[in-house]
Amino acid sequence: MSGHTPAEILASHPFTADLSEEDRAQLARLARLAVYDPDDYLLREGQPATAFYLIVEGLVSIELFIPGHGPRPLQTVEGGSAVGWSWMLAPSRWEFDARALERTTAVVLDGERLRDLFIEDCCLGLRVVHRLLFVVAERLKAARLQLLDLYGPPREL
Amino acid sequence: MREPTGAPPPGANPYIPVPFRVSGRRRETADTVTLRLRSPSGDGLPFEPGQFMMLYVFGVGEVPVSASGAPRRAGILEHTVRAVGPVTRRLVALRRGDWVGVRGPFGRGWPLALAEGFDVLIVAGGLGLAPLRSALLQILAQRDRYRQVTVLYGARSPADLLYRLDLSRWQQRPDLELRVTVDRADERWRGQIGVVPALIAQVERHFEPARTVALVCGPEVMMRFTVRELQKRGVPDDLIYLSLERNMKCALGLCGHCQFGPAFICKDGPVMPFSRLAPFSEIREL
Ligand SMILES: Cc1cc2nc3c(=O)[nH]c(=O)nc-3n(C[C@H](O)[C@H](O)[C@H](O)COP(=O)(O)OP(=O)(O)OC[C@H]3O[C@@H](n4cnc5c(N)ncnc54)[C@H](O)[C@@H]3O)c2cc1C
Ligand code: FES
Repeated sequence: MSGHTPAEILASHPFTADLSEEDRAQLARLARLAVYDPDDYLLREGQPATAFYLIVEGLVSIELFIPGHGPRPLQTVEGGSAVGWSWMLAPSRWEFDARALERTTAVVLDGERLRDLFIEDCCLGLRVVHRLLFVVAERLKAARLQLLDLYGPPREL
Repeated sequence: MREPTGAPPPGANPYIPVPFRVSGRRRETADTVTLRLRSPSGDGLPFEPGQFMMLYVFGVGEVPVSASGAPRRAGILEHTVRAVGPVTRRLVALRRGDWVGVRGPFGRGWPLALAEGFDVLIVAGGLGLAPLRSALLQILAQRDRYRQVTVLYGARSPADLLYRLDLSRWQQRPDLELRVTVDRADERWRGQIGVVPALIAQVERHFEPARTVALVCGPEVMMRFTVRELQKRGVPDDLIYLSLERNMKCALGLCGHCQFGPAFICKDGPVMPFSRLAPFSEIREL
């Protein structure tokens, strides 16, 4: 995958594959390819949220650093999904850390230029935000189920 | 394609337990062990994957427990038991050489004959892997009868993963796609964190929905969300099989303890297609 251009990857990535070629070309102009080694951080809590990550291959841990304990992983995101929506909510900072657990490839889209593009082309903005909402909803649903502690002892349910 | 049939309990009197001796005991997690039981006479109680036995601890009581081992091993049974109450605590505390009474097998198992020629998607949550392990062992023993075989398994934490040796063996197999996830972990865990229904999206390319038999077992909420994910992708309701648990007494379809809608889980289940359960699923339990 790392031999491909962002435009080629966007054509097959589940997040963007069903956008028009023209939409994808607009996104590709704001995109670069990045490769992370295990334990590299894609983004860190408190830093400015400047990018949107489409994970192509690998595994990313969304986590929170707890002083005295270290990183506490909360969910993982695998190839085919996306990481980070704080860039939409400007001016913003990342609320969590995202760390590669395996060698990970991502298409990284510039957040500020994405926001400008959405103002210029609201329809494209809506299509991307709709997809992003789907990712957010799936992640929220998963987090709610995790909260239930379904596999805990019966008395704790 | 043929439906599995619930084998009638063997022996003259299905109320009388057959004595088995504990011949092996493997600790799986802090509260769960797998017991290997051997019949002194060498005659087993042949079962189908997905069926259950009533295990009787002398002087304490009797509980339904799924068969978790390979079927068709004469005189040998495997059961994975989690200590949650008086009887299961005693079962978990049994040692080699102890005796346990066994009645069974009961109920209908997984539709492994029906699944021949189909993709098989196994979705297990927590202890739900126990009856599915038995199914998987049989599928792997006859691997060429099935198309793609995918196993999705979710546990509470890495320390709660059952059958670690099996998992690492299954991970190596090129003819099996295995994904494991946990609900919570510390930073030493390098695998996935999240709920098991969410794994279905990751393995979409490994199954053709209309030609997939899904075998699902776990807590009811997990099964509900799993069914939805399968339905969204077009797996037909009559090819989604769930294993249900209800409190049981006779296990013979007589006492009504395990009733679910018009069905008795001990006799018509525990494994049932979702198409049969769907009309009753709005009763807030699957
Ligand atoms: C078809 C079937 C297959 C089963 N397979 C297994 C298995 O492979 N391994 C295993 O460890 N257990 C299995 N169970 C569950 C097991 O039968 C119960 O945990 C057991 O009956 C509890 O008895 P107890 O005396 O130890 O505790 P109890 O005092 O009867 O119960 C202790 C706690 O467990 C809860 N509980 C009881 N039964 C169930 C149940 N069926 N599901 C969820 N919570 C329950 C009770 O509400 C209570 O909170 C199965 C149940 C069924 C119906
Ligand atoms: S346990 Fe008696 S009818 Fe099912």
